[in-house]
Amino acid sequence: MEEKIITKENLIKLSTDLVNEGFNVIAPSEKGYTLLQTDPLLSLSDSQPLPKSPFKGYLFPKTEPLFYYKKGQHDYEFVDVNLQNVKNIFLAAKPCDAASVNILSKVFNWDYKDEFFDIRADNSLVISMACSTSDEYCFCTSVGLSPVSTKGADLFMIPLAGDKYAIRIVTDKGKSFAEKYSKYFSDGNSVESEKVLAGIKAPEQSFDTAKVKDWLDKNFESEFWNGIAATCLACGQCAFSCPVCHCFDIVDEDYSYKEGRRMKNWDACQFGLFTEHASGHNPRDNQAKRYRQRISHKFKYYKDKFDEVLCTGCGRCTRGCPVSIDIKEIVTEINNLN
Amino acid sequence: MENIYKPYLMEIKEIIEETSDTTTFRLAFKDGSIGEKFDFKAGQFAEYSVFGEGECTFCIASSPTRKEFIECSFKKAGKVTTALDRLNVGDTIGFRGPYGNYFPVDEMKGSNVVFISGGIGLAPVRCVIDNVLDLRADFKDITIIYGARSVDDLVYKDKLEDWKKMPDVKTIVTVDPGGETPEWKGEIGFVPAIVEKAAPKAENTYAVVCGPPIMIKYTIPVLLKLGFDEKKIVTTLENRMKCGLGKCGRCNVGNVYVCKDGPVFTYEQMKELPQEY
Amino acid sequence: MNNLSQIISELLTGGKVTKVIGYVKSGSRSKPFISSKAEDAGKFIMDETCVNNLAVYLTKDEIMKQGKVAVVAKGCDIRAIVALIQENQIKRDDVYIIGVNCQGVKENFDSNVLAAKCTPCKVKTPAVYDVLIEMEKPKSEPSKENKKEEIEKISAMTDAERFEFFEKEFEKCIKCYACRQACPLCYCEQCIADKSVPRWIESSATKRGNMAWNIIRAFHLSGRCIGCNECERVCPQDIPLSLLNKKMSMVAFDEFGYEAGMDMDAPTLTGNYDIKDKEDFIQ
Repeated sequence: MEEKIITKENLIKLSTDLVNEGFNVIAPSEKGYTLLQTDPLLSLSDSQPLPKSPFKGYLFPKTEPLFYYKKGQHDYEFVDVNLQNVKNIFLAAKPCDAASVNILSKVFNWDYKDEFFDIRADNSLVISMACSTSDEYCFCTSVGLSPVSTKGADLFMIPLAGDKYAIRIVTDKGKSFAEKYSKYFSDGNSVESEKVLAGIKAPEQSFDTAKVKDWLDKNFESEFWNGIAATCLACGQCAFSCPVCHCFDIVDEDYSYKEGRRMKNWDACQFGLFTEHASGHNPRDNQAKRYRQRISHKFKYYKDKFDEVLCTGCGRCTRGCPVSIDIKEIVTEINNLN
Repeated sequence: MENIYKPYLMEIKEIIEETSDTTTFRLAFKDGSIGEKFDFKAGQFAEYSVFGEGECTFCIASSPTRKEFIECSFKKAGKVTTALDRLNVGDTIGFRGPYGNYFPVDEMKGSNVVFISGGIGLAPVRCVIDNVLDLRADFKDITIIYGARSVDDLVYKDKLEDWKKMPDVKTIVTVDPGGETPEWKGEIGFVPAIVEKAAPKAENTYAVVCGPPIMIKYTIPVLLKLGFDEKKIVTTLENRMKCGLGKCGRCNVGNVYVCKDGPVFTYEQMKELPQEY
Repeated sequence: MNNLSQIISELLTGGKVTKVIGYVKSGSRSKPFISSKAEDAGKFIMDETCVNNLAVYLTKDEIMKQGKVAVVAKGCDIRAIVALIQENQIKRDDVYIIGVNCQGVKENFDSNVLAAKCTPCKVKTPAVYDVLIEMEKPKSEPSKENKKEEIEKISAMTDAERFEFFEKEFEKCIKCYACRQACPLCYCEQCIADKSVPRWIESSATKRGNMAWNIIRAFHLSGRCIGCNECERVCPQDIPLSLLNKKMSMVAFDEFGYEAGMDMDAPTLTGNYDIKDKEDFIQ
């Protein structure tokens, strides 16, 4: 992989240029991935902990209008949404968040193409950075990723001694970007960066997704599911802070008698009413069934359909769970049952 | 930008009150050029919307061989269906479709076909019945067995009369015990029992079954006992769907999105799915 | 902890209760745990990480339907249980309260400071219980945060400033409803936010949808909130919900002399009309 070097000073100059050119430069902070122009403190050290929420909200917003409608005298008129001037640059993203772009793209593009996601993703550049802040809740190594994975990234940063970063060019999009702003980069080699990467501690692998899927293939009706997640409050926090959960709802909202908009909002399979029919019949009427769906969708159905595990091992679901339900613990149990 | 969520506009041309809570709409595309190009296959569904209330999923009840109108039938059950119920002729609704897979009409050619349905379940089946009857010569024996809770709850009453009059179609209509009126001349009994009584022969026959989950649950064992092949029992799954495009996750059952790999499934395929629908 | 394990073991083997709801260790934290097996008795703990309000499980049919349930409860949790009894959601006999002589719990597991709610707590030794246990002495420092001062600062703002303040906070809301699910007093079988015919509260996480949801929830809790602060703890967007809910409890106390969850036999504030109620706010 071609490698360049950029000093911290130049990186800040580059970010300022990008902001002035109209890009949304988004970097991790404690609160989540925030826009650089509104949050000037840019912490680019590799000891920046995992932000509380992922950056999926910039590609798949928590709420967005699909179109606006106006009621005319005999007809309805549609007003389209314009997404053309959305340009994002994700800077120093965590590898587990960067990987989410490819994974999400699969469901939004099979058969019908969801342009709301595609336009945003096509106009975004992902620059991820090697991560050395894994804690007891992280398990990226169990789902085929690692703190130094380049999956989903266009450019990959590695912090070096002396306030410098190595930048590896992963995709063509990344290459064009590096060429466009070549005045900030100098040539590099991978000697020092390899040493840094080798020194990064990765979480120990807890389970093997192939073994887990094998068990899930055969055990839909197993006793294991009885009473699982008994303390779950059905709050939806796990789905909303997951970088790859993507279920959504479509609702209409009126402004007035004559106009309104159709909205696409985040939704979660953990909510009690998610699968309830108008007749009142609910195929998943208790939390154990809903939790079984969560695990099966992530580790079996998505893999069968799109050949990806619907999980990046970031651990946000467990860290944020009000009752500390640990997905890593449960999936490891399944792994050991096999 | 190509917006897959944006509906076509349809005008309500005719409203037929089937029963006290079931209505049929006859719709036409507001933009005639779209109407001319529009095509679908029997069994596919669409998302109908009332702007300001939301979207709702029902099958397209008219046959693809008859293009003047698009018909849909619905039962007043929730938010959007209640709003649809309040509309009048001339009003505009949204229409997104066609989505989903379809009845294997081509595969069924050359075989006998038995159509079994109950209540509002006649709506998706009617589409394929009309489709098959329009190509009558391609099929052998055709039997239609339909039942509802009471005489009032029978839908498409005029269509049932039409089919009864056809000499090359065997039509049996039944109502649940207690649902008959003094003038009722049809059968009395639950649909699975009537199917058992009619005992359609299983050889070279497809069975198309559609209706409330409980009716399907008791009819399929009857068919299996009569010797029907699991691959030739075809039914539709009624799951809660939202986007119709295989993205929002609501209709996900096992490895399948009902809105894309269904709603038409053979009994063999349904057995493979986790039983949560 | 032998005391707690012993109590639980006796309750379950004696058949006095069908299940026990308590806390067990989970890494560097603790988590709620429900068991009906006496052999699980040794797993239960009670220390400064046991912050969850377990009263939230007492209105869940799946948990209560088998019969009497024992619950490990701190002073704030017991206030929730008493409030539920006041509102006729559970009966005193439905629950065996293992009360805790509480010295404070942590909300933020990465810090060494106890929760802000614990410093002014008046129910460290609860008033209602079937048996009282001690907890492991907290290793963390008491909090120096003063919620009342913060609320007074906001009360001193102009109406427009205050509206802007809350509008900005609620914009962060993602409508995950974790606040509602974690609250023991949010037990409605059909929440007003889930009603779609008609749609009272927009489900979209827009400015107006968020204002509607958060303000209506604060209204529905007025005079009923017992101050366990679970809503603020579980919010993934760090919205300071306690400011609004605590303000409403302060109003309930200042104007009507009422505190929820203190007296099992007291009629509820909003469920009761007293001829002596003040009328000076009617202009």
